[in-house]
Amino acid sequence: MRSAHRLGAIALAGTVMAAMLALPASAQTTTPPPTVQTRAESFIATAAARGLDLNLFGTHVTIGQSSAVINSTPSAKASGAGVALVSGTVSSSEVDAADQSATPPKACVLNLPVANLLTVNLACGESRVDTTGGAPSAFGAGSVAGVDLAGLTLLQPIIDLLQSLLNAILPVVDQTVGTVVNAIGPTLGGILGPLAGNLGLGSTSNVAPVSGLVTSLLDGIKKATSLVGIKLGDSTAQAATAPGLVTATATAAGAQIDLLPGLAAGGAPLLSIIVGQAKSVSTFDRSTAKSTPTFDAAVARVHLGLPLLGTAGLDIPVQLNTPLTLLAGTPLETTISLGAGRTATDPSNGSVASYADGVSIQLLKGINGGIGLDLAHAETGAGGQTRLVSQQEVVQQVPSLPKTGNDAWLPMAGAGLLLAALGIRRRLVAAQPVAGSERVSR
Amino acid sequence: MLLDLLRTRRWLRRSLSALSVLLVLGGVALVGYPFATNMWQGRIQKQLQQQIASPQLQQAYKEHKVATGDSLTRIKIPAIGLDTVVVEGTTPSALRAGAGHYPQTSLPCDVGNVGIAGHRTTYGRPFGNLDQLKPGDTIELTTPIGGCVYQVSKAPFVTTPTDMSVIDPTGERSLTLTTCHPKGSAAQRLIVRATWVKDLTAA
Repeated sequence: MRSAHRLGAIALAGTVMAAMLALPASAQTTTPPPTVQTRAESFIATAAARGLDLNLFGTHVTIGQSSAVINSTPSAKASGAGVALVSGTVSSSEVDAADQSATPPKACVLNLPVANLLTVNLACGESRVDTTGGAPSAFGAGSVAGVDLAGLTLLQPIIDLLQSLLNAILPVVDQTVGTVVNAIGPTLGGILGPLAGNLGLGSTSNVAPVSGLVTSLLDGIKKATSLVGIKLGDSTAQAATAPGLVTATATAAGAQIDLLPGLAAGGAPLLSIIVGQAKSVSTFDRSTAKSTPTFDAAVARVHLGLPLLGTAGLDIPVQLNTPLTLLAGTPLETTISLGAGRTATDPSNGSVASYADGVSIQLLKGINGGIGLDLAHAETGAGGQTRLVSQQEVVQQVPSLPKTGNDAWLPMAGAGLLLAALGIRRRLVAAQPVAGSERVSR
Repeated sequence: MLLDLLRTRRWLRRSLSALSVLLVLGGVALVGYPFATNMWQGRIQKQLQQQIASPQLQQAYKEHKVATGDSLTRIKIPAIGLDTVVVEGTTPSALRAGAGHYPQTSLPCDVGNVGIAGHRTTYGRPFGNLDQLKPGDTIELTTPIGGCVYQVSKAPFVTTPTDMSVIDPTGERSLTLTTCHPKGSAAQRLIVRATWVKDLTAA
C-alpha cells in the first residue's frame, strides 16, 4: 500500500515538472532540426579594360585604362585613367564598408605630351564606388579624344628610302612595265605584289603610274603632319550587385589607327585599321552560385588608301588568328593579328573568367623596331558561394500562424503506456513462483 | 512458456517489474500533461490579472511598450464562456498564458486588424470552443486604458497554417482570432473574424 502511494506521488511530481518545463504546442516545439553548418554569402567580381597598349620604340604607354573590383565584404574599388600612371588623368576610389560611396571628380588633362613622341588630346579618368545597402558597385572609365604620334623626325628614314627607290626606278623607265615591277618588287612587293592585279600593272600599262606612285608617296609623306593618328573609344569597367546577380562588365570601345594621315587622295591616310568593340561579361548567380562568362571579341578591317587606288581605296578584312602583313619588305611593313576571346573556369571553386582579346598591330617594323599596339582588350571574372542557412533558419523564415494545440496524442500515448504496464503486472502476478520452485528448477 | 520463464528466472521478473514502473510513470505523465498545463496556465493567469490592473502596465500600454509575456488585454466571449487575459506576443513562452497578441498587428480597439492566437487544447484551452461562435456573437476586449466590443462578422473558417494574410492590416477596426484545427492537430488553422461595434467606458 505504501509503495502504491509512493508511485502515485512520483507520477504526479513528474507530470507537474513536465508541464512546467515543456514548451506549449507551437511551431518551435516540433522535433529539433538537425544541426547544419552555416556559411555567409561571399562573392567577388572584377572587370578591366584597356583601350590601347602602346610599345613605342621601347617606351611603354597604356592609354584608356579602367578597372573595377567588388566583393561581398562589402568593398568596392575602381580606377580610370586617360593615360596610365600620368597624374592628372587618373581617378581612383575605394570604399570598404557598407553604406559608403565615393565619386571623385573626373581627372582630365588637355594636350598631354608623352615621352616626347606622343600627343594625347584630352585624356580623362573617371571612377565611382558605392556600397549602399550592402550591394557594392564600382565603375571606372578611361578615355582620350585622340592620339598623335608626331615624330616628324621618324619620317626622315622613310623619305630617304623612297627617294633612293625613285632614283633606282628612273634609269629604267623606258623598260617594260613588267621589268620595272620585277625590279622594284623585292622592295615594294608588299605594296604592289598583292595589288598588281587590281591595279592593272600586269604587262600592258606603261611605267608612268609606278614612278607616279613613288613620287606621290614622297610628296604625301613630306606633307603628313604625323606618322600615326589614333582615334580611341572609351574603356569602361563596371562591377555591380543586384538582388539575384553580380555582374562584371568590361568594354573597350573601338579604335581607328591611321598610318600617315593626309597621304592618300582626299586627305585619307595611307592605311587605316579599324577595330571594333571588345566586350567581356562575367556573372555570378547569387541563388545558384553559378558563374557564367561571355565575350564579344573585336573585329577589324584594314582600308588601304594608296594614291594609285584613287579615292575609293581598298578594304581588306582581317581573318581571325591569321596575321595579315601589309607593305611587306618596306620600312612601313605592318602586321595585324586579330585575337579571339576565351573563357576559363576554375573547377575547384566554380569561378570564371572571360577574355575578349582585341587586335595586335606591329606598325612600321622597318623603323627602329617599329611600334607595337595592343587594342581593345577586355577581361572580367566572377565567382563566389551562396549563403548556407541552417534548417532551423529555414523553418523560421517560413512564417506561419503559431501552433496552439497539436498534442492530442499525448494522453492517448500515456493511456497506452499504462495499459502496457498493467499487462506486465498481470503477467508478473500470474507467474508468482510457488515456494521452493526456483530451488527445484536448479 | 513465458510464465514458466518468469517463475524460474528472478532477474527477468525484476526487470519486467522495473519496466512496468517506468511505463506507469511515463503513462501518468503523458495522461496528466494537459491537466498540468491547465494548472500552470491558471497560475499564470492569476499573476496576469494582477498585472493588468497595475499603473505600470497602464503606462507601458500608453507608450506601446508592453513587453512580450506581459498582460495586454482581457478577452471575454460570453457565447463560449471565455474570460481570460491575453499577453503580448505569440512566442511559445508567451502562449503558456493561453492566448497572445500578434505584435505586428494593431493594439486592441485601435484602428486596424487586432490579431490574437489562443490554445485550443492544453494551457487552459481558452479557444477550445472557438468553432462554436456564430455571426453576431460579441467579443469584449478590455485594455489597461479602456475597452471595446467586437461582433463576429462571419462564421469561423479554416485556412492553412501559412496563410498569414488573415492578420494583414485592415482599414477598419477589426479583430481576428486564430487557433489550431481540428482539435488536437496543427494541420490547419481556425479563424474567427469580428468587427468593432462600440467602445467601452474607461476602466
